[in-house]
Formats: sequence, C-alpha cells, structure tokens
Amino acid sequence: MSPVANSQSCPPSVGDDCAPARCRWRCALEIIDELLAARDAISGEEMDRLLDLRSQLRRAEDAEAVLKTFCELRIRMERKHYLAFFRIRRWLENHIVAAVRICPAAEPVFVPVELSHYCVEAIRRVCLCAALRNGVLLAPRLRFAFQGAAVPARPAGALVSH
Amino acid sequence: MSTTTKPTSISAKKDTRLIDGLNLVLADSYQLMALTHLAHWNVEGEDFFPLHKAFQEQYEELFEAVDEIAERVRALDGYAIGGLGTFARVAQMEEFKAPLPQKDYVAALVVAHEKVVDDAVRTRDQAGETSDLQTQDLLIKRLQFHEKTLWMLKSYLKH
Repeated sequence: MSPVANSQSCPPSVGDDCAPARCRWRCALEIIDELLAARDAISGEEMDRLLDLRSQLRRAEDAEAVLKTFCELRIRMERKHYLAFFRIRRWLENHIVAAVRICPAAEPVFVPVELSHYCVEAIRRVCLCAALRNGVLLAPRLRFAFQGAAVPARPAGALVSH
Repeated sequence: MSTTTKPTSISAKKDTRLIDGLNLVLADSYQLMALTHLAHWNVEGEDFFPLHKAFQEQYEELFEAVDEIAERVRALDGYAIGGLGTFARVAQMEEFKAPLPQKDYVAALVVAHEKVVDDAVRTRDQAGETSDLQTQDLLIKRLQFHEKTLWMLKSYLKH
C-alpha cells in the first residue's frame, strides 16, 4: 500500500511529541503498549523484542534497526496479531523514508517506504527500484531515515550493488 | 389529536457545529462507501466469495445512510456537502490502492470505520448538548452499524 503523501499523513509522533489523539494512524508506540499489555497472547521472547522495538522507536535514531526489528516481529507475530501489525506497518510507512543517492556525492532522493515484504533487504530493493525511475543509479547508497531527520552528507548507509 | 408536531429544537437548527459535524460524518461515510466498493471489486484469493459479498452488503448499507445523513442536514436548515473531491478533502481518510492482500483490505476498512465512529460519537454528543434527539437517534443508528461491522471485520482478522 502506498502512503498518500499529503496532509493525511500525521506528523511524527515519536518520543516526547507522541500525541495519539492527533495521529490519524494510531501511534506505533500505543499499539506496542497494547500488545505488551496482552501478556497471555505473547511469549516472553516476543515481549523482549517488542520492548526493543519500543525503545528504538522512542529514540527515533536508527530507522534501519527499527525496520529490522519490526520485520522479525512481523514474521513471528503477525498471524496472531494482524491488525496490530497492520497499524504499526502503516505508521512506519508514514514516518520512515528511504534516502537514496545515485552516487555518494549526490543529493538524496527521498522514496516512500512500502512494507510489503518481510525482510529489510527486499524492502530496500523495492525502494531502489522506485528511485531508479528517477534516473540511473551509479553507485547507489540507501539509508532509511525518520521523516524530517537530517541525512548525513556522506551517509554510512549500505552500499548497494544494483 | 394534535395536528402540530414538535419541531426540532431551535438551538439545534442554528447550531452550525452540529451541521458541520453531520457533514463530516456524511463525507466519512461516502469515502468509506467508495473504499468498501474498491475492496469489493478487487479482493481476491481463497476468501473471495464471503469477502466480496460482505463488502457489497456494507457499501449498500452506506449508500442508504449517506442519503439519510444529508437529509438530516437539510432538516436542520443546513446544506449538505457533496462532490468526490470535497468528500475526500473533508473526510481526510487515507485511501488504499489495489491490489492488496485480503487481510489488508479488511484491516484498512477497520481503520476507516474507526474514523467514522470517532467523528460520529463527537457529533452525537453535540446533538445531545442541543437536545436534538432526532439527530442523536440517527447517529446512534449509524454507530450501531459501524460497531457491528468493526466486530465482524476484526473477527475475520483473528484467523
């Protein structure tokens, strides 16, 4: 599902700015808290990984780590908690973008992230294919980032052969 | 037998907040009807038949509802909003594109129904504040439909 990039997207609501009442797509943190509260429906290991995801979202520093943890949890838990993972997925799609540079010196092109796959590498590939529509990728670098976060001029993001 | 009927309270007729609220529920319902229709057309997979049929029942119910809501706006001396662009702008409901996995159609419709419920509850309470029992009754009926549909859609996701 592609996010509709207009005023429908809620503002970033991680960390101290979290205000679920203003967020159309309920805040991912709120959904994780609901999952954590359903103690009988999740295992101890799932609880630990949910707490990891919660912590990563609160810090809002490492979008790549967020996606990795989310994908891991999604594979494990989505079958039993489909709606919760749909809400978290849509929230992430509205708050994380892929910054793609056609070569290390180029300005980044921001591509919406579609979480239609269950592993980060597949998600990365979809984003690169989307960026490819804008031109030839010479030595592309892709970095996932929270919307509005600064992308370093020379990103440490993964070098991707395409 | 009295030949006069008790009119809608004058305060309700003048209450633009209530008319705006009803127009918001109207836009939400129209937008939800369009999304449900989209899901009806494009759903595919092993549960095609029950989902296709369920979505049809839901958009047909919504089609009747939008007429009732719009006519209530007129009964309150307001004007009903209309036009697909206006409905989309007012409702601010996120659209989805086909194709999607079966469960994503259902989950996206859950989120859309929840949006209608939020707006209908607020408008129902405004109607209560102005003692407009007719509008309140209409919105209670709408809420019953949306809550029942939410229960059904969420139950499907518990596969």
